[in-house]
Amino acid sequence: MASRSGRAAAALVAGAAALLLGAALLASATLPPGATPALAQEVDPEQQLAIERQLLCPQCVNERLDQCARAICEDMRATIREQLAAGTPPDQIVFFFRARYGDRVLAQLPREGFNLLLFGWVAGSLALVAAGGGFALLRMRRSARRSARAGEP
Amino acid sequence: MNLAGALGASALVAALAAALFALGTSTWGVRRGHAGAIASGRRALYAAAALLTLAMATLAASLLRDDFSLVYVASVSSRDMETAFKWAALWSGQPGSLLLWAWLLSLSLAGVARHLARALPWARGHAQAVSGAVLAAFLVPLVFLASPFEVAAVTPPDGVGLNPLLVDPAMLIHPPLLLAGLTSTAAPFAVGSGALLAGHVDSGWVRAARPWALGSFVVLATGNVLGGWWAYTVLGWGGYWAWDPVENSAILPLLPTIALLHGFAVQERRGMLRLWNLAMAAAAFSLAVFGTFNVRSGLVSSVHSFAQSEIGPYFLGILAAVILGSVALLAWRSPRLSGPHDFESLLSRETGLIVNNYLLTAIALVILGGTLFPVASELVRGVRVTVSEPFYDQAVGPLLALLLLAAAAGVLLPWRRGSPRSLRRRLAQPVAALVGSAALLSAAGVRDPFALGGIVCALTLAAVTLREHWLAARGAPRAGGGGAASWPLAAWSPFRRDPGRYGGYLVHLGAAVMAIAVVASTAYQQQVRVAVAPGESFAAGRYTLTYERLEGRPGTGNGVETDAVATVTVREGDRLLGEMQPGRRFFTNFPDQPMGVVAVRSTWREDLYLFMQGWDEDLVTEFQAFVNPLVIWLWTGAGLLVSGGLLAFGWQRPAAGAGAAGAADAPGPA
Repeated sequence: MASRSGRAAAALVAGAAALLLGAALLASATLPPGATPALAQEVDPEQQLAIERQLLCPQCVNERLDQCARAICEDMRATIREQLAAGTPPDQIVFFFRARYGDRVLAQLPREGFNLLLFGWVAGSLALVAAGGGFALLRMRRSARRSARAGEP
Repeated sequence: MNLAGALGASALVAALAAALFALGTSTWGVRRGHAGAIASGRRALYAAAALLTLAMATLAASLLRDDFSLVYVASVSSRDMETAFKWAALWSGQPGSLLLWAWLLSLSLAGVARHLARALPWARGHAQAVSGAVLAAFLVPLVFLASPFEVAAVTPPDGVGLNPLLVDPAMLIHPPLLLAGLTSTAAPFAVGSGALLAGHVDSGWVRAARPWALGSFVVLATGNVLGGWWAYTVLGWGGYWAWDPVENSAILPLLPTIALLHGFAVQERRGMLRLWNLAMAAAAFSLAVFGTFNVRSGLVSSVHSFAQSEIGPYFLGILAAVILGSVALLAWRSPRLSGPHDFESLLSRETGLIVNNYLLTAIALVILGGTLFPVASELVRGVRVTVSEPFYDQAVGPLLALLLLAAAAGVLLPWRRGSPRSLRRRLAQPVAALVGSAALLSAAGVRDPFALGGIVCALTLAAVTLREHWLAARGAPRAGGGGAASWPLAAWSPFRRDPGRYGGYLVHLGAAVMAIAVVASTAYQQQVRVAVAPGESFAAGRYTLTYERLEGRPGTGNGVETDAVATVTVREGDRLLGEMQPGRRFFTNFPDQPMGVVAVRSTWREDLYLFMQGWDEDLVTEFQAFVNPLVIWLWTGAGLLVSGGLLAFGWQRPAAGAGAAGAADAPGPA
């Protein structure tokens, strides 16, 4: 009697284990393939991040390379890793991507040529607001004083 | 025949007719002085709002009933989506969000019409005409270019489902609030244009427009904060604000709205800024239209560019009409805009408020320039460039710090005329706070000049604001005559006595707290990237993280096929703090667009922010961890800011120079 119930319990345990194993297999089976990380250990991750933070995803807008999940960014990160491992200087790596994808992958707008217009716009806006604002304040004060004087008996 | 399609489409056409009727009748009524015509113009605006409500209800019902005979429903919804996300689908595509835009616009314009009928009778007809024109302009694309009620030739068995980016609870509240904020800028614009057309630009319109501008501020600010929160918790790049062109579009109308609220105070007290305030009301609405145009047209494509379409040129037309119309109107009425005013001294609160207005204008110009520059570069040179965070941090950061300081100065200066002596006395404590906090912070290791400058400016504003509130609260219970009241009552009393003023100060305090959080989390963010196998550990800041396992879970509706979930335990020293589960979510209908699922662990001191970038066949997984200092204070500050804005609704114009408010204007007791 006892042995039978013991066998039943064992069967139950085995069944449960099989079920769990099956569930585990099933669960891992549903895991889709992720992109390969394979961070090369010989590359300084800080240095790599520093380079990635200077670059943007070529397909998104304003998405930093170090954070974008697109396949193209995975490839770019892998390229940076390879080039760093091969001893390429960081400036040249950034230049490489600039040459390949254009200026839009640079996080920092180059201060040259046509782009200087934007900096001119900033300086111009500040100058306009400061000069125009100062002038308006002084004029308001003058006209207020004049009307106050006119109002006096 | 498709009932929902026919009902919705006719409601839209009828709403357009009602808007045009409001425009025509109100104009006729104003010309002939016919009060009955003006009243029916007002009722036509109510009718337009009711018809658009019907259209919204029809579309919502179609979404909830999985009626895929409507092209729009099939493009944004699917059978397995939760009911909540079917509501979110209402505004997650172009036609739906345009309908939401028009509906919210019609509600605020109908509200303005109702309010002005009593509050500003002499301008009500003019304001209704402007409202009718604006509403009709936004209904035209909905009727002719992008109707959400287009019926499909063949009804598909199931819909495509929601875009993965939008499968998030924040999508239920962020877009409607933001759109409500953008459309609400039409309200002060309608009041101001009405007053300008009617030819009375004294402070009458200011009193009528103020609650609408305040509401606009509160809703826009909330919408922007929720957008940041969504970016932080869903987009998974460790930050809450990326100076994305669409984010810029959302924050731009907020700047003239803030300027307007402060300009109103100056106009009411001193009769100054008549032209300026009208221009700010027009600027806020123009920028809201610009933002909509920017998002809808894909002009500057971005993460939000799923709303691309061909209606861009049409919006550009509306934008041009609003700007040119406002400029022409202001020029036409300019003789009436330079009336007598009362400006005694440059050393006064009015100067402080005006300088703040100028700073806000400068900030708006810089952001606008940065947003449009890539377009200019592409048009002129054919070269795509990106203007991103570094530019804005350098160009806007210092201006924002100055704005905080100028706000502190504005609070300290008295109305009319500050004597240099009283000013010195009032400035002593804040300057001490400024210098003291700078010394303490640099002693504590804050050496980055950007961080130091920003935090010191914010602390100064916070100190000044708290001091003003404390001075007001201290005087309160005795004035009530009830002896020593309990301290919470005393702390609350300024809000009861002068809600506009102390509500505004609470907004300042919230802004200061937010600024500190922004500076700290920008300058002192730590970023770590590792590739680890299950069982391995890595360090991020003070924390040790152990990667336990990676598992796949079948999706639970909403178009999700699989959730890949990593389990990571977090320890500080030997102490186990808990588990974090970042992941990646795969969608059936969007195989190329998996979404990262971010895990965040918040404390008052810092956020530990973890996301997963990928894994290989051995389950070696790449993680990025950020330690973001003080982020919780960003949301706390935002809460203070919004509460302050809500408290300020209890505003009454204090009788000039009389009573408690007058006393509070005097320099604080020495």
